[in-house]
Amino acid sequence: MSFTIHTSISAAVYENENVKPRDERRKALLGVRGLRKHHGERLLFDIERIEIATHGAYVLTGVNGAGKSTLLRVLGGLERAEIDSLRFEGLDILRVHPYPRALRKAIVYVHQHPILFSTSVPHNIGYGLELRRLHKEEIASTVEAAMAWAGVTHLRDSDPAKLSGGERQRVALARAKVLQPRLLLLDEPTSNLDGQAREQVIELIPTLVEAGSSVVIACHDRDLIGLPGVQRFKLRDGRLEVR
Amino acid sequence: MVDATLHAFVLLFTGDPDLWRIIWVSLKTSVIGLLLAAPPAILLGYFIAMYRFRGRRIAIWLAQAALSLPTVLIGLLLYLLLSRRGPLGDLQWLFSQPGIVFGQCVVALPVLLAFTLAAVQALDPRYAETAIALGASRWQVMARMLYEGRFGVMAAVLSGFGRVISEVGCALMVGGNIEGQTRTITTAIALETSKGEFAQGIALGIVLVAIALLMNGALMLLQGDAHAARERA
Repeated sequence: MSFTIHTSISAAVYENENVKPRDERRKALLGVRGLRKHHGERLLFDIERIEIATHGAYVLTGVNGAGKSTLLRVLGGLERAEIDSLRFEGLDILRVHPYPRALRKAIVYVHQHPILFSTSVPHNIGYGLELRRLHKEEIASTVEAAMAWAGVTHLRDSDPAKLSGGERQRVALARAKVLQPRLLLLDEPTSNLDGQAREQVIELIPTLVEAGSSVVIACHDRDLIGLPGVQRFKLRDGRLEVR
Repeated sequence: MVDATLHAFVLLFTGDPDLWRIIWVSLKTSVIGLLLAAPPAILLGYFIAMYRFRGRRIAIWLAQAALSLPTVLIGLLLYLLLSRRGPLGDLQWLFSQPGIVFGQCVVALPVLLAFTLAAVQALDPRYAETAIALGASRWQVMARMLYEGRFGVMAAVLSGFGRVISEVGCALMVGGNIEGQTRTITTAIALETSKGEFAQGIALGIVLVAIALLMNGALMLLQGDAHAARERA
């Protein structure tokens, strides 16, 4: 399935006149140069270069208001910013506004406080697959596996609006995972969670990388920052430091 | 008064053909007008709520101002449009059911638009962002948002129906109150009362009150569901 999605994305990007093939080796998943974001007159950040490797895991830290969430939202195509150049899987994306659909399908952003649609837990998890017009049987089996992965199978018949913060976050992670995104952007996934709920979410994150996604997590959580193999970005005074 | 009321019930329950034809014309023209108005009004309400563009505030102002536009004025404008020398005179819709449908459509538009706009504006913007983040196209985002705001949108449709079934000015001016053709509940009540024939007017009034009670009951149920959904969230 990963192969199928990957292939279709590449094909779609090649077909798009706004992109051109450049590097077939695709070591770097995403490379952005000259990324600037203003809030009104104020320059929020001015990042010379950011590179996300295939199967890479990163945490993005910085004080409150540094622009972590905004940076993730820009990378996820949810907010506009000035971008000098953007390369994805070896392809130069010549026009980033609006974000090409193939890129939006390959990059999934998960909110700090995920919102669930007022349908059912399985429908929420399978929503992105429905958009990709997969067969019902395939969606059902994928959703089933994802619910087991996230430990939310027992919530199958629960009202999504009644779930706790931790349950919501796990459903949102499952909803993102089934899409097998090339890049997953998690905005403070453990904030406002404590105890077991927080641990359950932390346990899921390394398995997302193992499943083939690159992951960038905006957070303050020391346990997430300390996960093995995780590289650290820090936003400070509008600049991105790589540690 | 008592005699007229008793006679009204007799007319209602004996299936008086004239009375039920009037009710049928009213329901038919109102429902068709509403169905024609709903898609563009809901679409427009959604786009005004979701997108930032130059003149958006003016669009909201106009949409809300149109709510308080007297239907008799809408009727006058449509009369001028549809009259033989008017720009739409060739359609020959004046004093015909298509003319009333056109009028009901125009009367329903602002209600549907303004209520849909308010319903979509009240939604958490993360619904749209989540759909986008999961790969939804612009139309798929709209479908998701309208589903999440379905109680508000249904309330818009019910309110629109309430407005068109109970309005008299436009139906009278554009329809002409022709018996068996363009006579609606409200125009019939006005005519019968002016003639001093109260029984049919009271019978039609009972029908209007029943429709109003039904509409408001449905609205209350929807509002209750929406409130419960908000509380759960």
